[in-house]
Amino acid sequence: MSTRVLICDDSKLARKQLARVLPTDWDVEVEFAEHGQDALDILSSSAFDLLFLDLNMPVKDGYETLEALQSFEQAPAVIVVSGDVQPKAIQRVKDMGAIAFHKKPASSEELRSLLLSLGLMTDSDDKESKPTVAAPTAAEQFTLNDCLQEVSNIAMGRAASVLAEMLNVFIKLPVPTVNILEVGELQMALDYSVKDDSCSAVSQGFVGSGIAFETLLIFSDSSFPDMAKLLGVTEDITRELETELLMDVSSILVGPFMAAIGKQLNIDFSHSHPMLLGQHVKIADLINVKKATWKRTLAVEIVYEVENYQISCDLMLLFTEDSVPTLENLLSFLVEEDE
Amino acid sequence: MSNDADGLADLHWMFDMLHHIDVGLVVLDSSYQVQLWNSFMENHSGVSSSIAKEQSLLTLYPELDTGWLRQKLDNVFGLKTPIFISWEQRPFLFPFKSYRPITGIADKMYQNVAIRPLSSPDGSIKQVCLVVYDVTDVATNKMALSAANHKLQRLSQALSR
Repeated sequence: MSTRVLICDDSKLARKQLARVLPTDWDVEVEFAEHGQDALDILSSSAFDLLFLDLNMPVKDGYETLEALQSFEQAPAVIVVSGDVQPKAIQRVKDMGAIAFHKKPASSEELRSLLLSLGLMTDSDDKESKPTVAAPTAAEQFTLNDCLQEVSNIAMGRAASVLAEMLNVFIKLPVPTVNILEVGELQMALDYSVKDDSCSAVSQGFVGSGIAFETLLIFSDSSFPDMAKLLGVTEDITRELETELLMDVSSILVGPFMAAIGKQLNIDFSHSHPMLLGQHVKIADLINVKKATWKRTLAVEIVYEVENYQISCDLMLLFTEDSVPTLENLLSFLVEEDE
Repeated sequence: MSNDADGLADLHWMFDMLHHIDVGLVVLDSSYQVQLWNSFMENHSGVSSSIAKEQSLLTLYPELDTGWLRQKLDNVFGLKTPIFISWEQRPFLFPFKSYRPITGIADKMYQNVAIRPLSSPDGSIKQVCLVVYDVTDVATNKMALSAANHKLQRLSQALSR
């Protein structure tokens, strides 16, 4: 009898990628779920042996799903596959009953040895390849948004892990959002995400292989006291100290994020020195300055929050309009490589 | 043989370029010993490369904020990611005189500094590189602008009263 496997991830690209790297000599029957609630609905109507579970998902995330599974009588074994590689995230999912954790994106060799070590499959001599999933249909097209969201998702996890290591905290990760925005819309998006009246921001420019973008890291000013506390600063918070905190957190969030993006796209980006865009200013004043020079931008937005602290910051990647075709092209290679 | 000579010639001009580029370059090992001190650093500091080399940066510049700098360097080694220091948080790391002592406005050179991890062939980080940029012009312009704005604001407040 074949093993019944459920793959739960909100990203279509990630579901497909994972299904592809399942060992070809493994007798499995694969089904998919788009988020935690979807998975729970499927699991309550029929029994599965194994669940591959992502952590950052809309509707019901991986943690909530693990929690709900604890009350299931016939819960499947759970392997968490996530871009969130913070040691605390890994410990947390194991405490909640997951039997293993694997970082995204998984390669077929890594996955194979993991499954073998867990005793979920046996190493058969019969490596005759057998299609585990139906070949992708023509309808299965990946949009630029799908790809960029998944690439950002992986990069965001790497960056959070480095920040978590420096501050020794747990960083709550959201699902990155990808949108094409006009000037006014960008301002609205910023207004919505930064609820405070005033904020401070650092910007850094990146360019490489025909792709140009800016990262914009925006802190609501209410984050400073807790951030100083986390970094063991006991002095009074002066303007210079705030700049220092901003520059440090920006270096640590943006550096690993860009390294992960660059690695996935195979580009070694050149970057400018980060620049203090504004301190204690209204969010509208951040963007107005540049109003004349661009019309539309491809924006990736990630809101990082530190658990148990009043710290939240908004990381935006703003691609120039003329980078979009090149980016589209590069990301399409990324999808094909998996095939 | 000729390949070796070519390689050596390449190395020579590359080193010449690094040495004379108008940006400060310092390479430190994990105990903060200076491995490279280019001519920008030599000329602005007055410390020659042969003296700087194999000395700890912290003993070479005892006036540096040691705890602060050590933390920055350790973060770069530990987290394997570049860290940036802006003139707006600290006007300068190295106490150099301004490049234009006569016509310039500032006495000191304002600096942006990037501290980057350097990976060895096996991927581990055994050295870091400090890149020191002279941003005196940018800094003095920005400060002059904000002082002028401040003055205008005060004037307009005085007028409206």
